[in-house]
Amino acid sequence: MEHQIQIHHGTWIPQPSGEFDNSGRFVFWIETQQTGKKDPRPELHPSHLSDTSRLEGFLASDLKFSAAAVAAAGPEPARFCATMPSTSGMPLPSLEMARLSGEYLPDEFQWNDWEIKGIAVRNPLAFLRELQVLSSFGGGEFQVGYDLKFWIHFAQQLRAMVRQHQFLPVMKCLQPKRGRSQPDYVTGWAPADSLYERCLRDFAIAMPAVCTLVKNARNGSTSGNAPVSVLDRTDLLRQFSEQQVDMLVSSTPFTKSFLKPLRNSWFGGALTPTPASRIAAGIDPPSPAEQDVAHWHAWQKKIIGRTRGSGFSLGLRLSQDDGTDDKRWRIGFFVSCNEDPSLLVDLSDWWGMPEHRKSEWQNRFGPQFERNLLFSLGQAARICPLLWQGMETAEPTGVDIDLEKAYEFLKDDALVLESAGYRIVLPSWWTPKGRRRARLRVRASGTGGQSQESGSDSGLLTLSTLVQYNYELSIDGEAVTEDEWRALLEAKSPLVKYRGEWMEIDHRQMSETLELWRSREDSDGIEFSQMIKDMAEADPNTEEFVFDDVLGGVLKGLQNLENLEPMDNPAGLHGDLRVYQKKGVAWLARQERLGLHPCLADDMGLGKTVQLIALLLHERQHEEPAQKSGIQPTLLVAPTSVLSNWKKETGKFAPRLKCYIHHGSNRIRDPAEFAETISGYDLIVTSFNLVRSDSETLQAANWRRIVVDEAQNIKNPKSAQAKAIFALPATFRIAMTGTPIENRLMDMWSLFRFLNPGYLGTAAQFRRAYELPIQRENDMARTRQLQQLVQPFILRRLKSDKSIIDDLPDKVEQKVYCNLTKEQASLYQAVVEDVEDRIEDSDGMARRGLILSTLMKLKQVCNHPAQFIQDGSAFDERRSHKLARLNEMIEEALLESDSLLVFTQFTEIGERLETQFRERHSCPVHYLHGGTSRRRREKMIESFQDPDSPAGIFVLSLRAGGVGITLTQANHVFHFDRWWNPAVENQATDRAYRIGQQKTVFAHKMVTLGTLEERIDEMIESKKALAENIVGTDENWLTEMDNDSFRELIALNRQSIMEA
Amino acid sequence: MAKMTRTWWGEIFLDVLAMSMDEGRLKRGRAYSGPNRLLEFSINKGVARATLRGNINPYFGVYKEPRYKVTVKLRQFTSADWRRISKAISGNAACLSQLLMNEMPTAIEDAFSDSGKTLLPRSKDELISTCSCPDWATPCKHVAGVYYKIASLLDRDPMLLFQLRGLEFSVFREKLADSPLGQALIDEQTGEDGSIDLPTNRYTEPRRTPAAGIDPRSYWMGEHPLPSVDVSSGSPPTPAVLVKKGGDHPPFWHVHQSFIGVMEEVCDRVVQKNRPSL
Repeated sequence: MEHQIQIHHGTWIPQPSGEFDNSGRFVFWIETQQTGKKDPRPELHPSHLSDTSRLEGFLASDLKFSAAAVAAAGPEPARFCATMPSTSGMPLPSLEMARLSGEYLPDEFQWNDWEIKGIAVRNPLAFLRELQVLSSFGGGEFQVGYDLKFWIHFAQQLRAMVRQHQFLPVMKCLQPKRGRSQPDYVTGWAPADSLYERCLRDFAIAMPAVCTLVKNARNGSTSGNAPVSVLDRTDLLRQFSEQQVDMLVSSTPFTKSFLKPLRNSWFGGALTPTPASRIAAGIDPPSPAEQDVAHWHAWQKKIIGRTRGSGFSLGLRLSQDDGTDDKRWRIGFFVSCNEDPSLLVDLSDWWGMPEHRKSEWQNRFGPQFERNLLFSLGQAARICPLLWQGMETAEPTGVDIDLEKAYEFLKDDALVLESAGYRIVLPSWWTPKGRRRARLRVRASGTGGQSQESGSDSGLLTLSTLVQYNYELSIDGEAVTEDEWRALLEAKSPLVKYRGEWMEIDHRQMSETLELWRSREDSDGIEFSQMIKDMAEADPNTEEFVFDDVLGGVLKGLQNLENLEPMDNPAGLHGDLRVYQKKGVAWLARQERLGLHPCLADDMGLGKTVQLIALLLHERQHEEPAQKSGIQPTLLVAPTSVLSNWKKETGKFAPRLKCYIHHGSNRIRDPAEFAETISGYDLIVTSFNLVRSDSETLQAANWRRIVVDEAQNIKNPKSAQAKAIFALPATFRIAMTGTPIENRLMDMWSLFRFLNPGYLGTAAQFRRAYELPIQRENDMARTRQLQQLVQPFILRRLKSDKSIIDDLPDKVEQKVYCNLTKEQASLYQAVVEDVEDRIEDSDGMARRGLILSTLMKLKQVCNHPAQFIQDGSAFDERRSHKLARLNEMIEEALLESDSLLVFTQFTEIGERLETQFRERHSCPVHYLHGGTSRRRREKMIESFQDPDSPAGIFVLSLRAGGVGITLTQANHVFHFDRWWNPAVENQATDRAYRIGQQKTVFAHKMVTLGTLEERIDEMIESKKALAENIVGTDENWLTEMDNDSFRELIALNRQSIMEA
Repeated sequence: MAKMTRTWWGEIFLDVLAMSMDEGRLKRGRAYSGPNRLLEFSINKGVARATLRGNINPYFGVYKEPRYKVTVKLRQFTSADWRRISKAISGNAACLSQLLMNEMPTAIEDAFSDSGKTLLPRSKDELISTCSCPDWATPCKHVAGVYYKIASLLDRDPMLLFQLRGLEFSVFREKLADSPLGQALIDEQTGEDGSIDLPTNRYTEPRRTPAAGIDPRSYWMGEHPLPSVDVSSGSPPTPAVLVKKGGDHPPFWHVHQSFIGVMEEVCDRVVQKNRPSL
C-alpha cells in the first residue's frame, strides 16, 4: 500500500446559539494527503478520512486504543464545518501536512467552508488524556496537528485543576417559556478560581485560529472572502471547561445515604441532574428558589470575585523568638504585593505608617485595600479559627499562641491556608529542606570485603570488592544512641527542642525506624550495584546512607564526571583523543572495575567508536604482564551496515588491534574451529542477524566482553536476537547507542536486561513500579527514583553540552564506511569487465566518453542497484548498505531534533531519497535540484530555516544546492556520493557551516569500501593540499589517465562485499 | 419537622420564645411562619408588623376566616448605648470581618458588655409583642409564627438584630468610620450591588469577535507558543479548598449537614470515581 501521511486534528465545536442547552462537541478528524482529485460532493473537504466505515473503528484499529479506552472516550460519527484558507477550489493542507508532504503554502488564497467528517467523543478529557500518552510515548507515527496539540495541553491543565478540587456549584437561568412568568433556575458545576482565570488568559492567546472558525453545519454558499468575525477564544475555552467539569461532577455516582439528606435541597439536584439518577437515588430535589439564587450569587462572588481585583495577598508567618519562652509562639500577619511578592509589609508596621507611605503601598495593593484585607482575614479565620483571637482589635497584627497550637498550625492549617491562596512563612526547620530527620542510617564501607589494591588508581575498588553495611540511628545527620532515641519518643509534645533546635517527633515513624534498626543485622558481601539500587530505592525521609572515604570517593566520581581524571592516549593509538573522549574511556574502564556494566550514549558524531577502540588498547596496556598474552577477545554486535566501518576504524586508529569480521556465507560455523580461529584476535565483529543464527558457534568462545553497538536494536527483549545476545556469557558488557533512551522506559529496561540483569527487576515489576506511574500518572517521585537508578550506568554527552562545545572544533568531518551488497558487487563487476574489454579499442572522444560514463555507472551502483538498472525496482535499503546506514544515521539525528542536509550529484537518486525519507522519517523533507523554480526554492529555504518548524531533511543536488544558499538550521551534512574535488564538497558543507550557525557542524562523507569511492577518498586525502590545483571542478582530468591507472581506479576489491 | 434556624445566634434568639410560652403554642406557632399563613410582613423602625391568616374557631365565636395583626419588637437601646457599642465593634477586626461576611460575630456580646446589655435577647421581658387575636395568652401562637420568621431572616442577615434593637445607622456609621477597617464595613453595607445577572445558557455561549489578518500559519499554529502546563505537583489537594473560604453555612444551604463536609465528599468522589478521565 502506498505510504499515506495522516495528520490528526481535533477541536471543540459549539452548538448554534438560541437554545438554553448549548452543549458543544469535541470532534477528532484525520487529514490525509491530497490526491488532486475533487470529491463528487463539492462541499466535502477532499483530503480527509471521510469513509464512515474507516472512522468507526479508528480508535481501536489505527490508534490501538484498548477497549476500555474506547469506552471511556465514547466515540460516535460526527460532521462539522470549518472555514479554511483555500486555493483553486481546494482547501490548503494544514501546516503539518504541508511540511510532511513537501508542499509549500501559497501567498494568495481565499476562504471557503468545508464539511468535515470525524469522530465526536463523549468524554474529551479521557480521550485527550489517551492521546497525550500516545503522542509522548507512542513513537513518531502518530502525527498531531497543532490544533489538537493545543487541546491536549489545555485538557491536561483542566484535569489538574479538577484534581485540585478547583470547582464550584453554579446556577443558570432558564428563561420563562411562553405562558409562564417565572424563570426556572438550573444548577450545575464549573471550574473556578484565580488559577483558572489565568489559564484561560494564557491559553486563549495561544489558540490557533482554526478552532475559532468552526460551526456545526454549512449555511449557504461561501464567498471566498476573509472571515469578518471569529468565535471568541476565551469563551470557547470556558464552554469547553464548563461542560467537561459539569459532566464530570454530575455523572459521578453518589451513594443513596449520601444523597438522602440532600433530597430537599437544590444541591442534591446539582448532583443528580437526570431523572434517571434521581430515581436511582430515590429523591426528587427542587430547583433553587429565587432567594437561593441571590444568596449563591453573593456567596460565589465573595469567594472568587474578591481574588480577581485585589493586588495583594495576605500572609501568615509563624515564629518563635529565640531565647524567650519555648511555649510562646506567634502568627504574624503581613501583606505582599501580587506583582512582586518580595514587596511585603507587616501589619504591625502598617497601622502606624504615615499616610503618604500608606498610599504608596496602596497603589500596589489595589483599590479598597482595607475592605479586601478584612475579607482576607475573615476568610483565613474561617479556615483556621484561632486567627479570630488576633483580630479582636481595631488594628490586627497577629496572634500569640502556645506550643500546641503552633504545632496544629504547622501540621494542618498552614497547608490548607497555603492552598487557599495565602502566603505562609514557616520556620526553616519545618521546611522540607531544613527539617531535621530522624532516620535509619546505613553506614556503607568498601574496605570490609577485600584488601584494597594499592597502586593503579588510588581509591578505586577492584571488581571483586564488596560493600559492608552497618546500621545506626541518626538525627539530622548525627548518630544517636538508642537511649537518646527512646527519650525523644517519650516526649509528650510533638515538637521538641533537640540539641538547641526544634524538630517534629513523628512517633509512628520513629518507632518503626527503631524496630527496623533492631531487626537489621550488619551485613557484608553486598555488590556495589546492589548498593546503588538500595540508595535509589530508599525513602530519604526515613533512611540515609553514609560512606567511608573509599566509597565516598567512588560515588562522588559516579555523580560527577568532572572529578574523573581523563586518561592519556593509550599506547598504540594513532591520533589524539579529545579531552571528553579521554574521560569517556576512563569512565568505561572505571565502570568495568566497579562491576557497573555501562551504556555509552554520546550523541552521534562524538566518536563512540574511537572510545571503545581506546578502551581495548588501554586494557592491553594496563593488564598484569602475566595476563597480557591471554586477554580474551571482545565480541561486538552491530547492524550489518556498520560492520566494515568498525574494521576500517580499528585499522585506522589502532592497527595493532586485530579485528575479525564474522560474516558472509563462508564464515566459520564449527564452534571449535571458530574458537580456534579467533583466539589470535582482539575484536570480533558480527551482525545482529548472525548472533541469532550462529548462537551455538558464538557461545563456544570465551568472551572478555560483549559490546552491543546501536543498542536500540535490542529494545524488544522478547525478540530472538535480543534473547541470543542476553544468553552470551562474558565478563564485561557494554552497550552503545546514540539515541536518547530516557523516554522509552521499556526499551531502557531491555537495555538493562542486557547490561545488568535483574537490576531493574522483572519486566512486569518494572512496568508496575515505573512505566505505568511515570507514563500514565506523570509520577515525579518515580521519575526521580528511576533516574537515580540508571544515571550511574549511562554516559550521555550532547554536542550542545558546554564542556563538549569547548572541546570540539566548529566543524567535524567524519567518514562513514560501508560495503557493497552482493547484488551491487555483481553489477559493479559487470560494468568493470565490460569497460575493460572496450577501453583498449577506443581512443579520442570515444575513450573520454567511455571513461566518464563508466565512472558515473559505478557511482550509481555504489549508491543503489535501482539507480543503475533504472528499472523502477524497489528502492530497498536491503539492496544497499549505504542507504541503510544513511537512514540509520538520519533517524538518530532526528531523534535529537537535529536537521540535516543530504547532498548527491544525481537528480534521479535525489528524488528517490526524498520519497523514501518522507515515508520513513515522518518529518519535513525538501528537495532542491536544477529544475526547481526560484519561487519554490525560496519557499523551501524559508520553511526549512523556520525555527518553529520541526527538524527536517533537505536533499540537494550538488550542482543546484552547492552554492549561494544558507541552511544553518542543519548541523549534519551527509555526502551520499563522493566528488573528486574536496573544494566542491566543502562548499556544499558550508551551506550549513556559515554565519548564523550556532552548533557544531558534522560532515559525514559516505564511502563504499573496495570501490572507486574508496579510491577517490584516498586520492583526496593524500593530495588534499594540492587537490584544488590539480583537479578541476569536473571529472575531465580523469580522462587523461592511462588504461592501467584507470583499471586500478575502478577495480573491485571482492573482500569488501557484505551480504545483507 | 425541620429546624427553624441553623445558626447559633438564631438558636439563642428562639430560646427566648421558648421561655415565654408553653410547648403546644410554640409548636403550633411554627406553622404560622410560612407563606401560607403569613400574608404580610415588614420590619420598620425596629418593629416587625405582620398580618396572619387565622383559623375559624366556633369555640371562640369565630365563624369567618379571621385576619390577625401582629407586632413584635425587642427592648431597644438608647443612642448612648449604641455609641458605646459601635465604638467597641469598630475596634474589633474580628467583629467587623464577620459582619462583613454576613455572620454574627462570635464575640459580639463582648462589645455590648460595657453597656450592661446583650444584643441577643436573653429574657422574656425583652420580647414585646401584640396580637389582635382573642387568645388570652401573650405571646400567642401568631406571635410565635412572626418570631420564627424573624429568626429565619436573622440567619442570613445578622444585622437585622441591630435594627430590632433600635440601631440608628447614622450613629453606627459615624463611629465605625473611626477605624480604617470599620470604614471598610460601612462601604460594603452601603455599596452593595444587588443586581444578579445569571447566564441564560447552560454553558458560556461563545461570542463573536472581529477577525483580524489570519494567514494560513496563524490559522493552524496560532500566534503565541503554548503555555506550559501547571500541574502543581502531585501533592494531594486540600479537600474542597475553594468553598472553605465561604464558611460552613452559606445562606443558600438549608441542609443540616456541614456544607464544607458535603463538598469535601463531593470533591473526593469526583476525583476517585473519574480516574480514567483525570
